[in-house]
Amino acid sequence: MNRQIKLLGIALMVLFSALFLQLNRLQVLQASSLAHDPRNTRAVVLDFSKQRGQIIAADGTVLAQSVPTPDVYKYLRQYADPGLYADVTGFFSFTYGTDGAERQFNDRLQGKTVPIRSISDIVQARPGSANVNLTIQPAVQQAAAQALGNQKGAVVALDPRTGAILALYNYPSFDPGMLAQHDQAQVRNTWAQYQNDPAKPLLPRAYRERYAPGSTFKVVTASAAVAQAPDLVTKTYPTQSSLDLPQTNKTLSNFGGEVCGGQMPQLLKVSCNTGFAQVGLDLGAQKLSGQAMAYGFDSRPPVDLPAAAVSNFPGPASFVRNLPALAYSAIGQQDVSASPLQMALVAAAIGNGGIEMTPHILSRVTDDQSRVIETYQPQVWKQPLDPQQAAQVRDMMVGVVAGGTGTAAAINGVPVAGKTGTAQTTAGHANAWFVSFAPAPSPRVAVAVIVENQTGVGDAATGGRVAAPIAKKVLQAALALPDAGAAGPAGPAGP
Amino acid sequence: MAIASSTRRRRRLSPGTAVAVSPPRRRTELGLLALAAVVIVALYVLAALGKTAHLPGDVGPVLGVMIGLAVVAHLALRRFAPRADPVLLPVGFALNGVGYVFITRLNSHLAGLQAMWSAAGVIGFVGTLVVVRRVRDLERYRYTFALVGLGLLLTPLVPGIGANINGNRIWLRLGPFSIQPGEFAKLALAVFFASYLVERRELLSSRRRIGSVHVPQIRLRVLGPILLAWGFAMLVIIAEKDLGSSLLLFGLFVSMLWVTTGLTTYLVAGTGMFLAGAYYTYTAFAHVTVRVQIWLDPWKDAQGKGYQIVQSMFAFGSGGVVGDGIGLGSPTRIPAVSTDFIFAAIGEELGLVGTTAVLVAFLVMVGSGLRIALKAEREFDKLLATGLTAIIGLQAFIIIGGVTRLVPLTGITLPFVSYGGSSLVANYVLLALLLRISDEVASDEEVGASDLEPAGRGRGRPS
Repeated sequence: MNRQIKLLGIALMVLFSALFLQLNRLQVLQASSLAHDPRNTRAVVLDFSKQRGQIIAADGTVLAQSVPTPDVYKYLRQYADPGLYADVTGFFSFTYGTDGAERQFNDRLQGKTVPIRSISDIVQARPGSANVNLTIQPAVQQAAAQALGNQKGAVVALDPRTGAILALYNYPSFDPGMLAQHDQAQVRNTWAQYQNDPAKPLLPRAYRERYAPGSTFKVVTASAAVAQAPDLVTKTYPTQSSLDLPQTNKTLSNFGGEVCGGQMPQLLKVSCNTGFAQVGLDLGAQKLSGQAMAYGFDSRPPVDLPAAAVSNFPGPASFVRNLPALAYSAIGQQDVSASPLQMALVAAAIGNGGIEMTPHILSRVTDDQSRVIETYQPQVWKQPLDPQQAAQVRDMMVGVVAGGTGTAAAINGVPVAGKTGTAQTTAGHANAWFVSFAPAPSPRVAVAVIVENQTGVGDAATGGRVAAPIAKKVLQAALALPDAGAAGPAGPAGP
Repeated sequence: MAIASSTRRRRRLSPGTAVAVSPPRRRTELGLLALAAVVIVALYVLAALGKTAHLPGDVGPVLGVMIGLAVVAHLALRRFAPRADPVLLPVGFALNGVGYVFITRLNSHLAGLQAMWSAAGVIGFVGTLVVVRRVRDLERYRYTFALVGLGLLLTPLVPGIGANINGNRIWLRLGPFSIQPGEFAKLALAVFFASYLVERRELLSSRRRIGSVHVPQIRLRVLGPILLAWGFAMLVIIAEKDLGSSLLLFGLFVSMLWVTTGLTTYLVAGTGMFLAGAYYTYTAFAHVTVRVQIWLDPWKDAQGKGYQIVQSMFAFGSGGVVGDGIGLGSPTRIPAVSTDFIFAAIGEELGLVGTTAVLVAFLVMVGSGLRIALKAEREFDKLLATGLTAIIGLQAFIIIGGVTRLVPLTGITLPFVSYGGSSLVANYVLLALLLRISDEVASDEEVGASDLEPAGRGRGRPS
């Protein structure tokens, strides 16, 4: 029998070797594909059940935090003021993933980037996740929300000197807390509601939606003239109510059939369409398109928020056989589109001596004991103008608020620079814009406001009437803050 | 107890002398047990740290119970089987301990029960050593064992006490406990097979010469009763939908028949019967069809019927080579992870390193068991040791192969590791029987060497 027993031993050896080979197949060869299979939700659940770091506003307000729960996920994500900060924080959902800061800073919030500094870091029971401190100022954010009220639109406020975003607000918005719930049936319900809402509450308009910038784009056209064709600044444009367009027998009219003309500061002050259309034609596609790109059009803003919209200005080639389109583009119509963030950056760059800082919401990353792990360093993104040119455009914008279409944004004792915009969307509807910064000589804040879909294209629906008062309240809220004096590496140039 | 009282007088050496003359093997065993205890406690602490980041408060008591159980089993061997193999108990203990740590980590409610079952297992282990003083005495009760084995298999079908849990009617509900009588039935049937086959070895092995080929002379009278018993067992298992046990029992029967006779014909015939049976059950029983289809392509219905095996494969893949760390994976999403799928939890949290260690542990057990079988001089001892070892090896292969998708999944416990009282107690009894044989083999060698009692060989005399 010994022979058979030995053979049985060999047979069992063979069977166990097969097991060992199969284990190698699963745990070595296929390990990566099995571990990362989308149906393998292990990693997701693990992330979901960790104590995630906090998202904290500039004044210390906790915008998002994980609180312990008795269920399998161990922690529930909770958000301050549902709807107020949703476009900044984004959401953190088991079923629908993440968006906003929750997505952008996921690794830090999970603690993947927290360094081990001492033995006690390893030994002590600590969350291991990092807190993300933002540049968002709740006072400015609240002012934006209150001023916008229940009008559909968006507000962006940033510090021109550093690119720090002070407020990023959007209405209508959503409640990220509802998407962080553990009951996924309920989450799916909420998600479906948001998705089916024609007002698109999940869309962060402030940085992910594009609109025709309308007359606010005239500051870009003015910049092109100042920087590339200075003689156009002093050229006197004919006073008229409509402009005969080249290559066609159509005409371009002024808003409300007004009659306007004169030199560039005057054209900007009253937002003269015929004048700026002609400026555009005088500049030519090359220069206007070049200036738009110098401000960041056709590039994705390097903001630390996911999927920021690329603002669009058509390439020069597209205007060769279509000069009327160039005329319309010079006043921000036709194929020009911009995100509110991009228009805020244009205003900020003009206020900051022509230097356009990289927009950002991250201030610093801290560990659970408030030790700073990472600090955001301001960076220059673009330089569309030199300081003298920027000052020229700035002075024209000051004129707009001092005695032009933007007087509703004027603040007692503080020089404000601004530009209105009223971009017609569909017949009888228009988007009201306002871009601004203050104090004009050395601004601490730049603001872009858009209010969507105002009915009636009359005076009541203009950027000056609708958007400028909102911008004023946001400017005031920002100016009321103690100035951190945080001048970046490229501080404001002298007046 | 009848066996004990009738055999005690026939021991060749008094227990006192035994301890005095043979401590080396027990000393080795004690060292190995200490090593196993250290590993288990270390894993236990790591598991607790992985889950809560706090040192568990019950390290002391757990350590005490584990060491207590190991010491009791060890002392029982010193007293009742001093010359037995020194490796089997520590390996079994280590597997039991690893299983306990994982059950604690997976389901704290089951942990206390498993600790109790471990104690019951050690009691069964000691009890077997005390009662079965000579393995050969079992031989005389072969038909009793056959009846007991078949009876145990049948009990779950009895209305009232039998219970259907998770689609398998293999449970016996006694008060608050559920018992799987099949776990004990396989031991009884192994004893029966061994004694029956040994007695009829000559008849079973005889061949006829047809031309140049030797063909076994199959006499139905000889093979009849055993085929009947086996077929009956198979039917019962099929009726209870217990595919794993059915596979195990078949493998056990065929390998014991082949080891006894050395006739390849039986192997070929057995394989043929297996294939025919497998094909028949595949076509005839929906649950078998589903099992095979899931094995062939679990991804087709990864969220439904294939969920368990897919989650198991995800667990192995997520674990990789070194594992997520004990307490840091998410094996609880695998259905039945504490019982049939505990090996997948080990794969996820201890990685290839851990799973290989478990495979090696089973190989060491199989190696030790077969070495005992090789050394044994009496055919019954040889065959029983082979059968018991085959049970451990085959059962481990069936379930590990099942959870790694090497073979179709048939639910069965991983010996010593899975949660489950019946399985644990039965495996400790199995271990005790192997150690009893081992002790006798060593004693026979000594006796043979010193020529103390040359007449001690042979079949047991009736009392």
